[in-house]
Amino acid sequence: MTTPLYLTPRLEDRLASLLDDPDFLHRLTHALGSPLNIVLPDQIAENVERFRAVHDRHRLSGTVYYAHKANRSSALVRRLADTPAHIDIASLGELQHALGSGFSPDRIMATGPKNPELLWLAARTGVSVNLDSVDELHLLADLVTRHRLPKARVLIRLSDFESSGTTVLTKRSRFGTPVGRIGMFLDALEKHRDSTELTGVAYHLDTIGLAEKATALEGCVRVMRECAARGFRPRAVDIGGGFGVDYLADGAQWEAYTSELTNAVLGKRPPLTWQGHGYGLRSEAGTLRGALGLYPAHRPVSGPRYLDELLSQSSASLGRPLATLLLENLHDLHVEPGRALVDQCGAVLARVLEVRDTPEGECVVRLEMNASDVSLEEHGVLMDPVLVRRPGAPSTAGTNPTGAYLIGNLCLEADFITRRMVFLPHRPEVGDLLAFANTAGYFMDFSADHALHQPIARKVAAYRTAGTWDWCLDENYWPISRTEESR
Amino acid sequence: MKYDSITEVIGDTPLVRIAPEIHGLDNIDLYAKLEMLNPFGSVKDRAAWNMLQPHLERGGADRTVVELSSGNTAKALAVLAAMHGLPFKSVTNRMKVPEIKDLLLLLGAEIEELPGQAECLDPTNTEDPLTKIHQLLSADTASYVHTDQYYNERNIEAHRNSTGPEIIKDLGGHAPDYFIAAVGTAGSSTGCARALRAHDPDTSVVGLVAHKSDFIPGIRNIDEVHEVGLFDPGTYDTIESVSADEAIDGMLTLVRRCGMLAGPTGGAAYFGAVRHLRAVDAQLTDRRTAVFIVCDRVESYMSYVHKRRPELLRRPARPNSLASLTDTDLAAAVSIDTPAAQRWIEETRPLVVDLRGSFAFDALHIPGSVNIVDEVFAELLHGGMPFGRNQPVLLACPVGEQSAKYAALLTRMGHGDVRSLTGGVVAWRDAGAPLVRD
Repeated sequence: MTTPLYLTPRLEDRLASLLDDPDFLHRLTHALGSPLNIVLPDQIAENVERFRAVHDRHRLSGTVYYAHKANRSSALVRRLADTPAHIDIASLGELQHALGSGFSPDRIMATGPKNPELLWLAARTGVSVNLDSVDELHLLADLVTRHRLPKARVLIRLSDFESSGTTVLTKRSRFGTPVGRIGMFLDALEKHRDSTELTGVAYHLDTIGLAEKATALEGCVRVMRECAARGFRPRAVDIGGGFGVDYLADGAQWEAYTSELTNAVLGKRPPLTWQGHGYGLRSEAGTLRGALGLYPAHRPVSGPRYLDELLSQSSASLGRPLATLLLENLHDLHVEPGRALVDQCGAVLARVLEVRDTPEGECVVRLEMNASDVSLEEHGVLMDPVLVRRPGAPSTAGTNPTGAYLIGNLCLEADFITRRMVFLPHRPEVGDLLAFANTAGYFMDFSADHALHQPIARKVAAYRTAGTWDWCLDENYWPISRTEESR
Repeated sequence: MKYDSITEVIGDTPLVRIAPEIHGLDNIDLYAKLEMLNPFGSVKDRAAWNMLQPHLERGGADRTVVELSSGNTAKALAVLAAMHGLPFKSVTNRMKVPEIKDLLLLLGAEIEELPGQAECLDPTNTEDPLTKIHQLLSADTASYVHTDQYYNERNIEAHRNSTGPEIIKDLGGHAPDYFIAAVGTAGSSTGCARALRAHDPDTSVVGLVAHKSDFIPGIRNIDEVHEVGLFDPGTYDTIESVSADEAIDGMLTLVRRCGMLAGPTGGAAYFGAVRHLRAVDAQLTDRRTAVFIVCDRVESYMSYVHKRRPELLRRPARPNSLASLTDTDLAAAVSIDTPAAQRWIEETRPLVVDLRGSFAFDALHIPGSVNIVDEVFAELLHGGMPFGRNQPVLLACPVGEQSAKYAALLTRMGHGDVRSLTGGVVAWRDAGAPLVRD
């Protein structure tokens, strides 16, 4: 076999310690079946502190909102309710879940597409509403008036910010109101002064580009000025999420892998993927075209560090660092990390059902799960699973690294867990587990379904007591006597 | 030398020998082809002019010249387009060199920065923004002239017909044994290689690329070169990579010891050339010649150097700076909270200095305060005390941190009654004290 091209996941202590306990993991899957989702509630509390530390470093007031959509787990939300964090919900179900998990309404914000039921429950309980459009404002104000609800706290979500100097192009968003139409929005808010109170302005851009976000943040500061001039008293600038996660332990592996993928697409080495799939790259007369449709899995500047970097950018038109600008204008800074807040917060386990070699000499590993149970591929994240051998398995001494294709339990040609060849340090055997680490953000339960009557993974919360791992079903977790720090 | 147009000055650049005691090679004469002496400052002047000319001859009136470039090609095209009354637009992933960005704006160019990659991947969207721009440009040839430097044969031709032959002429009708060039669009390396090999098929061509995680202006990394239409691996006998640090080291040798004010790209070429030749040199018994290209000048890369090697731009410490404060100085500063400050203002009428930015001051401030933005205040203090030593002063900043430092500094400088507002304007607001916009 050619040199193995590993993409080793980055594991911090807690997650590494969990994956280093094969007896525990095999007992769990033996009892609860495969696939199995594990979440680590104590990790999310630690992550909240890391984001808050960035606020502290820049002397900024404001709040970390967890973007609930990243994971449906109750344990994570309940553990979070026991921290200073707030929560950002994007559906009626998520709002009910947050309220039922211990978040008081003043710690909840509704964003994204909203139906009238969500707007009513938000206004009824006093949850902030991040307004997408003037139409949504009218709808909300109408509900407040007709049902004699308390004044609704609202933020305006903006889009299409204008840059100065160079034109910073940005992909069009289906959300938010163009910043150029802010006057009209404020007219409408003036009309609804009896039923709404403007508390802030917001944006969320789906990009990893700092320049675009800096442009938007600066735009928000200007809009805050305009709001004040019109007699409103908003306090907060909400800059959304998109801070990213560093998935891989070793940048050199990522560089080697992507270089080799390029060579494979150009036909200069044997394929690294099923049927030469190029992840968006293609060869046209020997020249590489297209774009690598992959998440940049090695991202040292991600999560809290990315936020820090953004706040340290200089405003192009106002000439001050963005953090200084927020601070001296007395604005609060709200952030809404999803993926970055559940970094290192869980893993998906799957049992190996079959290992065979094709006539072409390729190793195929069939797992008791399917592609929707761990949607790494759908989100373009390339990261190796961790091989957890079954207790009592023979020693691996003398065995060689193996490149294998991972296939799922659906009777469907396309059911590949990933279309790339995954390199494992040893050839797996029936009964071993593959642990897909760091998958709590979007990869765990976002897309899972019951196709072919296959089971959806159960979810458990794991926590350490007195140095050993313990667990309970996700729905039975409450942050009392189950957290690491006994209180 | 008299010319009718600046465009006639493009090309015919000097070939200058690097002194052997600098490069340390025993058997090789190393020459630098000083492309930085082209009128607009770089090797790209030749390609830009050669690519644009046919459009001008065909009468490209009113069409916008467009190129995907964030560097020297954009610069040269911006000058040439402006000279001929055409608008120029540069489309770029990211302007990584701020000096070039400002220069392009000064030249009247328009810059469009492409959007960053999505945080949430949409796997159905595999078309890169560049491909979309290509489609847009080729669909609308009436409005745009796309010079297309990464695919345009005229980019190569410029060097095959001028740069390469100039080298042969200057070496007394011989092609060098080794030719070393950084690979950006592959235009200069391919063009020169063709001319040199046509004269002497034994010329060995070394292509230099950047380390994958590094950024060297004007050089592509080993993956990115495959996206270049003009790039053909067969052009090069070897392809080697250079790190940003090595490029700066090479640049330092050229600027400090050779009197060649080369930028990091030229530095990379020098470093890569010497590294490659040193291994060859040891085996040689007869004399050989080698040529590398110095692509452009150093002046545009000050912020690049500042970011990567700040120690190279050391400056003497200035008097009265915050950095010089000791813990004892800080402990000696007087701070007062909002109620006490309000009483003091009422009784003594101190000068209230708000150190925040003007945008923030303009929005809301303490009644009667004056705004001296912290950066300006720091500048003033380098020169000395900006007000009388007995004039009571209250300093305010956002949270009381900076004002405490400046209070300490002023106290050390001998001021008699300077106080810092504890908790800053934020605490003032939270205490319900008045803020005005007047």
